Amino acid sequence: MSLLVLVTLALITYASRAAAVVLLPRPSPRFETILSRIPAPIFASLATATLLGDGGALASGPTLAAAAGALLLSPARALLPCLIGGAAGYAVGVLLG
Amino acid sequence: MVALSLPAAAAVAVFGSLYGAAARGFLGVPLTLVSSLIVYSGALQFAIVALLGAGATTLPLLLTAGVLNLRHLVLGAALRSRLESGPLRRALLGFFLVDETFGFAIAAGNAAEPRAVGAATERTLLYSGLTLYVAWLVGTVVGVLGGGLAAVEGLAGALFPVLFIGLAALAVTRRSHVVRAVAAALLTAGVALLLPDLRLLAPVVAGVLVALPGGDR
Repeated sequence: MSLLVLVTLALITYASRAAAVVLLPRPSPRFETILSRIPAPIFASLATATLLGDGGALASGPTLAAAAGALLLSPARALLPCLIGGAAGYAVGVLLG
Repeated sequence: MVALSLPAAAAVAVFGSLYGAAARGFLGVPLTLVSSLIVYSGALQFAIVALLGAGATTLPLLLTAGVLNLRHLVLGAALRSRLESGPLRRALLGFFLVDETFGFAIAAGNAAEPRAVGAATERTLLYSGLTLYVAWLVGTVVGVLGGGLAAVEGLAGALFPVLFIGLAALAVTRRSHVVRAVAAALLTAGVALLLPDLRLLAPVVAGVLVALPGGDR
């Protein structure tokens, strides 16, 4: 792969990141309401995607246990408890595995 | 919130080292380093290595970049209303827009007083973005130098679902958000099982689809 192709890939990536934040006007209140609903579902989806590999294969036991630990503490609605729950879950998963 | 991005940075560094080790054989040392410096996208860079390994030509690489980067348009649109600075500063901040920094920025904005949402969002996007960018570069250098961190790959891999669950919890401000999050997770799992080729696009598509209908409670 040449440097030119690499630079093109970088430009495509940067353009996709900057396009909405630079070119979009501030959204209307109606559109803003819809946009405000997007983050939680996207993060839940990303979490799911990281737990499923190719062909829907599940992640390793410790990783699933870590996710379960984080999920257990998610009602706290704070990142630190989720990280602690995830670490504890991972440790339990390793011990049981 | 920036301090909380440090565990994510550690995981990013581990994956950066794996990328550096894997890409060195296909791109050579200089281009591997340049790729992390100017692309700064783990998903795309790993995909490039996989495509090059399969003998792909330039067009599939560019198409893959286009498809994988579509999600940034949605993330950027969701973040746009919280950014109050001018276009030049927003253009700079755009470079640091990745899944994790988006989450930290949204969470920081949610935690801020109404009049400080813009400043908190932008500050968090910049500092967590810089932190993760440096971690990605350092990891790539370590990998290129042959110091892969494969021994902790499992732990680093476990951090990402934990992080995203935590960010989802932070992003929930209404009960209906929980319902939408669960629906999006199920939709993503369904796509991963039934349409595995679309697995990388599924999170954003699912996120948008479940955000559209109904009102907020």
